[in-house]
Amino acid sequence: MQYPVVDPNRPTLTSPAPLYRPLYLSITSTARGLQNFISDLRNAKSKEDESKRVSKELANIRSKFTASGSLSSYQKKKYVWKLVYAFMLGYDVDFGHAEVVSLVGSAKYSEKQVGYVAMSLLLKAGDSMMNMIVNSIRNDLVGSYDDAATSLALTSIANVSGIELMQALHVEVQRVLVSPNATPAVRKKAALCLLRLIRQLPDSIASADFAPHISNLLQDRHMGVLTSTMSLLIGLTSKHEQEYETMIPYAIHILSTLVLKKSVSPDYLYYRTPSPWLQIKLLRFLQYYPELMASGQAYVATLKQCLARILNDTDVSDSINKSNADHAVLFEAISTIVVFGDSGDEDLQLAAMRLLGKFISVREPNIRYLGLMTMSRLAVLHNNTNKEQIKTFQSVVVHSLKDADISVRRRALDLLFVMCDQTNAESIVDELITYLVAADAGIREQMVLKIAVLAEKFATSKKWYVDTILKLISISGDQVSDSIWHRVIVIVTNNSDDDLQQYVATTMFDVCSSKNAHVKAVAVGSYVLGEFGFLIAEEAGKSGEVQFQVLHQHWPLIDANTQGIMLTAFAKMYNLYEEIRPIIDPIFAKLKTSVDVELQQRSNEYRILGSLGPEIMEDILREMPAFDTQKVSTLEIALDQEHSDTHDVNVFKKKDPNSPASKRGSKTAQQEPEPEILVQAEPEPEPDLLDGFDDPPPAPIGGFDDPPLSKQAVTVGDPAAVASSFAKLLSTPQGVLFQNEYVQVGVKQEFRGSQGRIQLFAGNMGAESFTNFKLDMPQVPYLRTTVQDEMGATGAGCTLAPKQQARVMIMAEAIAPYCEAPGLTVTFETSTTTHSYPLKLPIVPTSFTEPVTVDKAAFMGRWGQLAAKESQEIITVSRTVDPAMMQQVAALLTGLKYGRCQEVDSPTTCSGCGTMKTGAKDGQGNPISVGCLVRIEANGDKFRVTARTLHPVVSQGVKETFCKVLKAL
Amino acid sequence: MIEFLFLISRQGKTRLTKWYGNYTSKERSRAVRDVTNLVLGRPPKMCAFIEWKDKKIVYKRYASLFFVACVNSDDNELITLEKIHLFVEILDRYFGNVCELDIIFNFHRAYHILDELMIGGYLQDTSKKEVLKSCSTMDDMMDDEKEIGAGGNGSRRNSSKK
Repeated sequence: MQYPVVDPNRPTLTSPAPLYRPLYLSITSTARGLQNFISDLRNAKSKEDESKRVSKELANIRSKFTASGSLSSYQKKKYVWKLVYAFMLGYDVDFGHAEVVSLVGSAKYSEKQVGYVAMSLLLKAGDSMMNMIVNSIRNDLVGSYDDAATSLALTSIANVSGIELMQALHVEVQRVLVSPNATPAVRKKAALCLLRLIRQLPDSIASADFAPHISNLLQDRHMGVLTSTMSLLIGLTSKHEQEYETMIPYAIHILSTLVLKKSVSPDYLYYRTPSPWLQIKLLRFLQYYPELMASGQAYVATLKQCLARILNDTDVSDSINKSNADHAVLFEAISTIVVFGDSGDEDLQLAAMRLLGKFISVREPNIRYLGLMTMSRLAVLHNNTNKEQIKTFQSVVVHSLKDADISVRRRALDLLFVMCDQTNAESIVDELITYLVAADAGIREQMVLKIAVLAEKFATSKKWYVDTILKLISISGDQVSDSIWHRVIVIVTNNSDDDLQQYVATTMFDVCSSKNAHVKAVAVGSYVLGEFGFLIAEEAGKSGEVQFQVLHQHWPLIDANTQGIMLTAFAKMYNLYEEIRPIIDPIFAKLKTSVDVELQQRSNEYRILGSLGPEIMEDILREMPAFDTQKVSTLEIALDQEHSDTHDVNVFKKKDPNSPASKRGSKTAQQEPEPEILVQAEPEPEPDLLDGFDDPPPAPIGGFDDPPLSKQAVTVGDPAAVASSFAKLLSTPQGVLFQNEYVQVGVKQEFRGSQGRIQLFAGNMGAESFTNFKLDMPQVPYLRTTVQDEMGATGAGCTLAPKQQARVMIMAEAIAPYCEAPGLTVTFETSTTTHSYPLKLPIVPTSFTEPVTVDKAAFMGRWGQLAAKESQEIITVSRTVDPAMMQQVAALLTGLKYGRCQEVDSPTTCSGCGTMKTGAKDGQGNPISVGCLVRIEANGDKFRVTARTLHPVVSQGVKETFCKVLKAL
Repeated sequence: MIEFLFLISRQGKTRLTKWYGNYTSKERSRAVRDVTNLVLGRPPKMCAFIEWKDKKIVYKRYASLFFVACVNSDDNELITLEKIHLFVEILDRYFGNVCELDIIFNFHRAYHILDELMIGGYLQDTSKKEVLKSCSTMDDMMDDEKEIGAGGNGSRRNSSKK
């Protein structure tokens, strides 16, 4: 039987609503405001119209919220819903959070519910409002009067994904989940809530202690609880498989109940199939134990029976939904068999392979897609008999490569790629190249890369490999990345024994003889003829001069980069063939004044080389030595970068230690030390700034173990640590400014133009209360600041109990050029000591800077103009500057909001441009901005930092900022 | 895990968005735009899965509305399709022959229903009856207060309509 809703032609799901449906009848008059708003937006004639209407409404709501009079419960809810609606349509809603918080805290269920739903939609991880809401949620979670409130609280924690919520509430959530009194409705929510938690804080649950709770939950009779618990279990197992091995018997038992006995309450039948969702989760869990079938346990037979039943009994049904659900289970079962591999049952493997072979040629596109995908997994996992069987389907897969559906084509390409080996490489690569001619842009780049990798990996001869790449260039040159043709050069250069170099020189000569050669082919040709052209120069019609002509004919049509390569080839020819020197000399002479600096430099150098004497010239223009061969081809790295890791630990990736993914993991980690400054949105567990009381602070200050009799003054932090935290905050949006065993000060900052919002979180980390806790910020003339401070810490001072936090929000606007970061002094008294820590706020000129991208000419021009306003300093760093460190420097530049001007840089320099915005106005009332240029040059273990800006004070400030962050590298 | 769920009209209007994964507002608006274009641009009779970044888009069209879910690339695609269908069936029962307008004007109820079906991107229950029961309990609680309190956001459970 088919549910009516699936028919896409059913009239009720078409708009406008049929007349017999009195749509507005049931809408109570009270909600009319919201309905009108939605109606207006629906009737808006244009996007502008709509946005005008939304702006008007938002302004109205804002004024209602800020007006002194209190709003009725109904009004509050109505306005919050309107905000949610506008937000959902993509409009920026940056107010009303306080009203949402108050709804959540309400005692009335109807308000609470609106509050919670709005909160999980409007708020997200990292919102400052999160901290205000935690207590309300905690009350509902544990101290609540009924399940309804607990449910709302759990739902919102799971949906909001805020690390703050998780840290604050995970203990309570665990308690609710395992409480014997919890109802199924609460329990299933708590399980998913906890799952969300371990995703963010993987080690917050002690697995060994928790496993018994899971086994209890698995014996729950409520199917909702079971389904949620299985989701949780999969999340736990993906991190700690061993600890949950004892759950296998439970899982197999439940599976057999569903699959073999088909015994389940009618409510959980989905189109006559017993909860397909749960079946899939159970199978997914078992995939974490690939050796399971070989364990010899009693349950193995049951599992085998279940899998066999799923494989044999699944059939196409006349209801698409039943078909989908059953096939979803079937594919999961096949995946499970794939994971078990040779340790599993041979009959099952054969049956699975047979089914997949059938699926990849059916008409139903979903099934075909999944068939191809699952087969690729199979091919990746086992390089044995399965692979031989898969190879028999080659023609079907090639056919799918021409499918109308790009998703299917991608899967077919992927499968061809993994089923390729020495025996079929040539035929597969040929097929791929034939198809490449007709392939559309969406898939070309991927194909080119894959063909290049296959050609290299399985080449039966090097000549075939080179020919293949040349074919790629001629068919689809634009998609051939530099790394692909560079690889050709490496391989040709490193194979000097056979006649490969001569062969390639001949081939490239022929290719470049054509006027229509692709620019990439010209690049390869230039390099090859420059290096190996002499090998064919004796042949008729291929003399040095002809070779030169063949290349030179492309000169006007190629880009400057390729011209550079060609110029070097000319230099090499200049060295080899005396007769063409008179032709090449004028070329060098002419390029002496080229607009392209690189060409200018090369031509000058090569021109002078000739005059330095034949020996020097020969020495310099000698053939290139063999390249270092990397173990992992750069192409495979490139290929692998297309697939970044998925959220869950992917069983398939994990099981294949030879995949480029796993090989790359460690390698790139060494190559590019992660520039920490770039890490933004993702909440880091380490700078525990909003709620950091769980960990005892490290490194106590020496000398205060014994309580002194009279109050002593402490004013020092560790200056190096303070400087480093400060430097780190200059280029990151949040972090810890200061921390010792008593107090932790965290900062969260956000700047836009000349304005910034800085939040300070100062927490008492000690065991006793602070009195007279003060955050002193002396007024500075160059910043206009307003401060929001509920506790009075910036005024007369307050008391801060242990584990309590004082929060201060500072709105700052730069109103003049400046260089000095404003100060912040944290003072407080404990029973024995007076503490005072003079700190600096990380509000520096670069904070108010916006990146500017300029080209080389503009950069050099301005650099010259600003020479008089330069500020320069040379600093020494801890180690010798290497390319990796230069990468970090480049990242720093971006972190400090400068636009990189790479064109002017050599490998040891890094230059950038930005503009510092201020709120000050010039004579015409326009805001004043200060253009800033900065250049960092590395030499040994030293950096020279030069800042040139329109204002000398800013130059100094920018220079100091850069020096500080560079020292902290 | 479902990363996000969109309801998009055939004209490309967003009717409902629900985010389970962590996305900044910038990423959100880009995702809405990209995914809308991808889904609307697909000819009929194609498979219901699109690879997008390192994730997968699973979608299905119901009359004038596309239901679109984004899942991890190794999630079970077909069952995601049926998750969408389960949601549609529950909406249909709740509203009684649901149409696009029901969802537009009662987007808040649609959110309530969705929350009862899945949280944090995972199904919390798979029984229609169970989910509808929680929804109606919730509606009753709202109604009760409406009688006592100063006008609640009246419920629209109109069983006679069906």
